[in-house]
Amino acid sequence: MRVLRALLWRFSGLFRKEGRDREFADEMESHLQMHIEDNRRCGMSAAEARRQALIKLGGVEPTKEIYRERRGLPLLETLLQDLRYAARALLKNPGFTIVAVLTLALGIGANTAIFSMVNALLLHPYNFPDLDRLVRVWENRGIDEGVDARFIAPQDAADLISASAVFDALATYRCGDFNLNAEGSVQAVLGCRVSANFFDVLGVRPALGRGFSSEEEQLGGDQVAIVSYGFWQRRFGGDAALLGKIIQMNGKKYTVVGIMPRGFDYPVPMELWAPLALNPLEKMDRARLSLESLGRLKPGISIAQARSAIDSVARRLQQEYPATNANRQTEVLQLRRELYLYTLPLFLLLQAAAVFVLLLACANLANLLFARIFGRQKEIAVRTALGAGRWRLARLFVTETVLLAVIAGSVAIALSFWSVTVLRTSISASWTMWVPGWDGIQVDRTVVGFTVLLITAVGLLFGLATVLHSSQEQPYTTLKEAGRSAMLGTTGRVRSALVVAQVMFALVLLVCAGLTTQAFLRLVDVYSGFQAANVLRTEIRLPEKSYLQNSQVATFYERVLGGSSALPGVTAAAVATNSPASNVDNQTTFFTIKGRATVKVTETPSADLQISSPDYFSVLRIPLIAGQVYSYADIADTARVAVISRSMAARYFSEGDELGQQIKLGAADSKEPWVTIVGVVEDVRQNWWNPTSRPTIYEPFLQAPQRSMVLLMRVASNPAGYVSGVRDVFRGIDDQIALTGIGTLEREITDSIAIIRVMGVLMALFGCVALALSSVGVYGVLAESVARRIPEIGVRMALGAEPGDVMKLVLGRSLKLTGIGLAIGIPIALAVNRAMSSAIFGIVSINLVLLAGCTLLLLVVAFAAAYIPARRAMRVDPIIALRYE
Amino acid sequence: MGEKKDVWQGTLALMVLKTLHTLGPLHGYGIARRIEQTSGDLLAVNYGTLYPALLKLEQEGYISSEWGVSDNNRKAKYYKLTRAGKKQLEREAREWEQTTAIVARFLAPGEEVS
Repeated sequence: MRVLRALLWRFSGLFRKEGRDREFADEMESHLQMHIEDNRRCGMSAAEARRQALIKLGGVEPTKEIYRERRGLPLLETLLQDLRYAARALLKNPGFTIVAVLTLALGIGANTAIFSMVNALLLHPYNFPDLDRLVRVWENRGIDEGVDARFIAPQDAADLISASAVFDALATYRCGDFNLNAEGSVQAVLGCRVSANFFDVLGVRPALGRGFSSEEEQLGGDQVAIVSYGFWQRRFGGDAALLGKIIQMNGKKYTVVGIMPRGFDYPVPMELWAPLALNPLEKMDRARLSLESLGRLKPGISIAQARSAIDSVARRLQQEYPATNANRQTEVLQLRRELYLYTLPLFLLLQAAAVFVLLLACANLANLLFARIFGRQKEIAVRTALGAGRWRLARLFVTETVLLAVIAGSVAIALSFWSVTVLRTSISASWTMWVPGWDGIQVDRTVVGFTVLLITAVGLLFGLATVLHSSQEQPYTTLKEAGRSAMLGTTGRVRSALVVAQVMFALVLLVCAGLTTQAFLRLVDVYSGFQAANVLRTEIRLPEKSYLQNSQVATFYERVLGGSSALPGVTAAAVATNSPASNVDNQTTFFTIKGRATVKVTETPSADLQISSPDYFSVLRIPLIAGQVYSYADIADTARVAVISRSMAARYFSEGDELGQQIKLGAADSKEPWVTIVGVVEDVRQNWWNPTSRPTIYEPFLQAPQRSMVLLMRVASNPAGYVSGVRDVFRGIDDQIALTGIGTLEREITDSIAIIRVMGVLMALFGCVALALSSVGVYGVLAESVARRIPEIGVRMALGAEPGDVMKLVLGRSLKLTGIGLAIGIPIALAVNRAMSSAIFGIVSINLVLLAGCTLLLLVVAFAAAYIPARRAMRVDPIIALRYE
Repeated sequence: MGEKKDVWQGTLALMVLKTLHTLGPLHGYGIARRIEQTSGDLLAVNYGTLYPALLKLEQEGYISSEWGVSDNNRKAKYYKLTRAGKKQLEREAREWEQTTAIVARFLAPGEEVS
């Protein structure tokens, strides 16, 4: 308590200093006077009395000093003093300050912006409590087909939870569209059927109303629904009376029992959830992987423990139910990590690039600071000579650099509010709505914390570097030599090293920028093998309980094709299970080639499966390479036929013998019918992340009708103008069908590679910044060294050196430094190159031309940056230069 | 003139407190004189030691200060013991006595400590 009281008192001592100083002076004066009077009383003369008193009492000023230190908080006081001094120093040199602040703000800002993405997408994709305990569980045959194809058989899921002790609970769900009937129209609603414990597993309660009960998981009790906040607002105007109301979906009545809180959007931005009620047969099903599942691990269970527990259950199931579960594996993955297995490298790469920009900025700033110290060498020497301790000087410098970093950081944070919004809105919402966490890209506490950490690190680092740097000099040397040629040795070396580092960073960043730009340019025409212009697309999903027969489905789509190709201006129309650039991979399937024995399941050939109408190839203008495509004559009753892609032909058949071969889906023992290959078409790239075009089997939809299809139409021009026409066609066939994702194929492609575009732009930006910073750095160091060497150059010229020699001297130094930087940078750039080509899915490969180009560019820039100081050196007048000596 | 010893901080605080306890409110000069006289002029108290010590005691709340007028009509700052100061004095005096007693026992000739 006493200590605290004293501290408070002392803190108050920081203020009203003059008054307190005067008061103490008065007190001492009165003390002195009393002493003198006493001395006089003892018989001393006036002068002697005063003299004795002064001798006795000691120095007045040192006492005041001690008193002052005791009165206030000297540490805080000097800090304020240092801050004032630092602020004055920065203000006095606005050029330096602006350049330094901007450089640093750029470096810090780049990191803040990228970190805000990393923070939102990788660290906080979902807001669920105990996110790390949430895992996705699915089954497959050893090949992961991606996020969209991770399913589990219902009975297997039930066994998993009862037989393994690692789960608190395991929820299952199945997503699909609901058709909402309202006011005579029908609207597709993104919905999901979920087990009753779904919301408990996620740990989120409805904001209004309640969750599902286990009775509602039973058939007959399942006509209840929970709606999303957004859907509630958009569709029902946020009316709280919606609870308990009945909405009509898929021709049935559902009672709304709950409204989820704002921002809840699992598994994807759903509008509505309904209970998943399975009939007894479905519940016992082991054959079909029909559900998605999400588990909450018990507290303290690690992923590894969970995996081994799940593996042992899966092995038991394999043995007990070989008919369905043979070769089936069960996978488990943390929810947090699921979506970012592909994009993680992208973001790490961006973050690494941002760190490089910061390092480059730091190198530049270090150069500036060292140049400034050189200018202040004399001041430092005088301070030291006057008794400033090393610690005191260090504090002065650290305060200055920290102040600089804080200003730069504030600018960076202010800018990042803006840049983060730009980032977030740079990609169309129809794409980002599928990216969990995207809307969370913002400057939040974590981001600000990260920035503050950066600022502190940068400020302290620089301060200390400056201190170490300046304390090498002895004050007397500096004073003696009048600061002219001091610091040539070490400083020169340090600053040269900085230039080398800058060139190195710049090279690496330029290579990164070049590669991403190139990747983006390649992506723009990665979708080869078809023509996207003038194509309109829309997705169709048949309602759950209608069109139960395959023939009904086929008839429905035939009518759709008939109606849409009859629209004026439409040259062809087709349906297919997937369209290119949809961001959804094709279904992958195993197949068996007739007459070829396969030994193990792992050797079973696999391919993408596309089911389409005959005109699919003409709508997308996919070239036919051999044979023919199927026609409308290939129907359910006729012999089964298929078309394969070129890469499939190349991989599994020898040249030219693929036509007439027979294949069937599934392994050798599958009951699927044999299908005859009638044609080969050009490869089509499905999605940008597929490293190559995958082998693909195309089957006619009349022989294998599918409920969900994509309608594609080729029109003469302006495909966007056909939207209402297409809607009319559907209304004429069945007014219960809702269309989703209607738009042009070109737009779809642009959206699908938006993330790479953003990345390309950012990288290009980083590259430009790198180039600018490093050229400024080279210029700064050379200009400085020329200025310092003017006397030397003067002597050289007086002794007969030609201006050309002098120029060579300066340019040579620049090229030497750049050369060293490049020599170190090239292997690093090559390594980065390798890392990047794996990060962006082999779209770009090791690129020596680019590397050579960047190297050359940096050499040219270094040359240009050196040229100005070199010319100045050349023009040195020996007479004037020597006068300085 | 004999060698005069400087007072070290810890004991100076105790002396100041005791002086104020004995004589009541007093100015800095008075305190200094009193300490010197009591020590039989063996101790010397100068500004540099006295005033920081007074300030510290005041900050800790053991004494309080007030401007007043001295006997000779001179303006002076008077220091006064607070209640906390009285307690602190008792405590410190006790501790001091203990310490000196222990040291004295060690220095006493011919006596073994069992």
